[in-house]
Amino acid sequence: MLGVGRAGPRLDPSAGPDASRPVPDAAPASSVRRADPAPAERDAWAILASVAGLGPLTFAELVTRFGSARAVVESARRPGGSGRLAGLRSTAEPDRPLLGPDLLARLVEAAVGGEALLAQMRRLGLEALTLEDEGYPARLRAIELPPPVLFVRGDPAALAPTHAVAVVGTRRPSDGGRRVAARISSALARLGAVVVSGLAVGIDGAAHAAAVAEAGRTVAVLGGGHGHVFPRSHARLADEIVARGGAVVSELAPETEPTRWTFPRRNRLISGLSDATVVVEAGVRSGALITADWALEQGRECFLVPGGIDAPASSGCLSFLRTYGGVARIVAGVPELVEDLGLAGDEPDRAADRRRAGPRQRGNLVAILAELGATERLVAEALVAGRATVDELVAASDLPVASVLGVLTLLEMRGLVVGAYGRYQPAGRLAGVGPQAVRRSGAGRRPSTAGPRGAVDRAAVARPGDGVLP
Amino acid sequence: MLATVLSATLHGLDGRVIRVEVDVAPGLPGFSIVGLADTALQEARERVRGAIRNSGFAFPPRRITVNLAPADLRKAGAALDLGIAVGVLLGSEQVRATGRWALLGELSLGGEVRATAGLLPMAAALARRGVRHVVVPAEGETEARLGGIAEVVPAATLAEAVEALRGPGRARRQRPTPARIELGAPHGERAGPSDSPSARPLPPAQPSPWPDLAEVRGQLEARRALEIALAGGHGLLLVGPPGSGKTLLARTVPTLLPPLDDAEALRATIVRSVAGEPVTGLVRERPFRAPHHTSSYAAIVGGGPQLSPGEITRAHDGVLFLDELPEFSRDVLEALREPLEEGRVAISRAGRATVFPAAFQLVAAMNPCPCGRAGSEPESCRCPPGVPERYATRISGPLRDRIDLWVSMPRVAPAALVEDRVPEPSAIVARRIGLARARQLERAGVLNARVDGRRLRSLCRLTAESEGAFVALAERTALSARGAIRLLRVARTIADLAQAGPVSREHLEEAARFRAPVVDAVRARAS
Repeated sequence: MLGVGRAGPRLDPSAGPDASRPVPDAAPASSVRRADPAPAERDAWAILASVAGLGPLTFAELVTRFGSARAVVESARRPGGSGRLAGLRSTAEPDRPLLGPDLLARLVEAAVGGEALLAQMRRLGLEALTLEDEGYPARLRAIELPPPVLFVRGDPAALAPTHAVAVVGTRRPSDGGRRVAARISSALARLGAVVVSGLAVGIDGAAHAAAVAEAGRTVAVLGGGHGHVFPRSHARLADEIVARGGAVVSELAPETEPTRWTFPRRNRLISGLSDATVVVEAGVRSGALITADWALEQGRECFLVPGGIDAPASSGCLSFLRTYGGVARIVAGVPELVEDLGLAGDEPDRAADRRRAGPRQRGNLVAILAELGATERLVAEALVAGRATVDELVAASDLPVASVLGVLTLLEMRGLVVGAYGRYQPAGRLAGVGPQAVRRSGAGRRPSTAGPRGAVDRAAVARPGDGVLP
Repeated sequence: MLATVLSATLHGLDGRVIRVEVDVAPGLPGFSIVGLADTALQEARERVRGAIRNSGFAFPPRRITVNLAPADLRKAGAALDLGIAVGVLLGSEQVRATGRWALLGELSLGGEVRATAGLLPMAAALARRGVRHVVVPAEGETEARLGGIAEVVPAATLAEAVEALRGPGRARRQRPTPARIELGAPHGERAGPSDSPSARPLPPAQPSPWPDLAEVRGQLEARRALEIALAGGHGLLLVGPPGSGKTLLARTVPTLLPPLDDAEALRATIVRSVAGEPVTGLVRERPFRAPHHTSSYAAIVGGGPQLSPGEITRAHDGVLFLDELPEFSRDVLEALREPLEEGRVAISRAGRATVFPAAFQLVAAMNPCPCGRAGSEPESCRCPPGVPERYATRISGPLRDRIDLWVSMPRVAPAALVEDRVPEPSAIVARRIGLARARQLERAGVLNARVDGRRLRSLCRLTAESEGAFVALAERTALSARGAIRLLRVARTIADLAQAGPVSREHLEEAARFRAPVVDAVRARAS
């Protein structure tokens, strides 16, 4: 193990983000910045990283004693060479061997089977990023006990952007939670920030998908090795993340299967790769709260979306806010979050910022709607306004059921809507639009009850070839 | 002397004519039945003996042999009782008769004639063999008349049957019968040989027990899916949490289907007769069967010691509704494949096999996950991750392929339940369904669900625009070849409901709404 409790660190509530950042003096090579290691040395790092149970401290000690990872691997591979490894004594406890017999056996096995690992990495398109690499993400280097090696699929540059924000949450979100995650992620992607998350179903998936839909870069940190992308239903999402210039990373060797203990450990990387962590929805025992814990531990900012006090999906967020009220912050809205993250530019005026965010959202909606036909627009607006079932969409759009059903197929093919269990959600670029954009444009209301304003909208919408809403 | 009468037995849904030969010969007293008679028939000896004695006749103390021909056909059931008893009376010369007679009915020890299951197909079989006179149990008279016999004589007792054989000329002689005590007579009526259950008046006809579509609030997507499914004979699966109205919606099916035509009605009546349900005339209502998910394999598929028809046969030409589909046993669900494909089910036992018709339309309902709450808001599904996604895979691929329409039913918002707008009633929807079905039958002779793939393409007549939309839909939604056919099929029905000629883009897009969800777990396993 990495010396990291599986439940994550429990913080002293008084410790804030300004608490001194732990200096990872134990990590190897962190102080010695040199040119990128030779390919053979990097391979050796990868092989050592694939040894289950070889923690960062022992890893560092081995590399220091042997001078290089390659020397360690070669020693383990040489017949009889493991004698020297077995004779090493732990520095901290001199009467104990540095490597136990089991660990030593695994190390020898990994060294002998190293070529297979490298072949598998090539097959999966993985790159190893070691602590000795210049390109090793600086944010991650700064956490306590950073992983010696990251297995990266995609562009490693996505791991070291100007702004990186983690968006995480429960695997069982509410419709609203999913929408909020998509809007936050969408807004971040539009501002050029990289969205970091865990590729899980629920909030994580919504966050990744919305960033991908905005053609933004996003980073998924896996809970297992690359050979075991979990859940399998997100394999395609992972491909899209890579295709959009993002990255899928894991600290575990490709063959490592995800277990219930690997996920909490992985969460420290999600927060560690980010400037801030945003928890959208989390139940009381949600792993997203572990990520939030890590964020505070690592001296990063931590935001939580509050919810109703009787909403089970928000109970974890609320209890976290209650415990860490001094340091954890509230998400008061998407523009407010953007401002609190310091991504809103130099504009200090909150109100002005909000004014700016509003029209921008509406502009975005108008742009999307302009590509659609008249009936599609009615349904799209109702979706953005939060109507979810066919019953609600029919009532809001006043279209016949048959038309609504056909239009939903059209929108789904354009990637603007997803449906599950009879409830439909805006997706893709449509997911990044808040309901206030619709409210402002007067759409999404039931035409029969809408005032004269609604009637005007409807007339405009029904006009063929009309590109924009009034 | 030797006496011969005709009777019949059941084989599957068909009646088979049986020649009952009774030889009353000198020798040690005995009574044996030969000719592959089953247990119920072997016991006929005791019933016949009692019925003869208690009707005022004498059971002859001779060596009696009953042969049931043809010898190689297995005979089952008690319908041969009356024929055997009359044969004994004729053979022992206690009764004289002429002509060609057939007799059907089970006897009680007191000599009453009771109805048995399957009178209608047995009477029909006799009629096909040119038999003109048949004595039937009084309570089964209506049913037997549907079989097309020239003269059907009802008999409530063995004595009445004997009178009928003698012809009208002779005066009926009152015979002294042994004393009897009736403590088990039907209540409120005088005890006596002519007392049969059919003499009691039936309760007055109930108003339709089925809910009207107007009682279903909201669920517009599912209502539409049901309309399309019934219009085209498509398999339909409703997925929704408990309380979302799946069962209520399914129970409106009988109010939406057109009545059976003459041939279908006769078949349905035969099935009902064989199943042993009272038949009071031709069955005109399309069958709607809703067996519980704990039903046994034999109850659903058919079989059992008598090779009786199962629920799928009783749903022939109608609808089989399987609530809680994944909870049915795997065997039962697998057994549905053949009938869904062929419209019939072959049941084989050692030495016998029969084929039952089973051209039913499948309507099924299920919860979205084992706890039933996946997808509901507020989120309350208690299933472990991945379990809801896998729940649908309990339904095997081949069965999934036979379900053309999948629809989710979210819980209805309370506001919709009290909304004053009244939803469309069954009568209006039934009219549209009837018109769409008539169009299909006129065009292809069968409903769209049973049109084969090749013929379907020519029936759909896609325009250039809809052809493009079809290709795009098939590609973007990664449809399999079967899935694409299903899409066309449903689109054709939607077009028929709209009384439209060619299938348009809008029809295809609406049809695509009802396609089966892609189950990644299934896909991953298959690849």
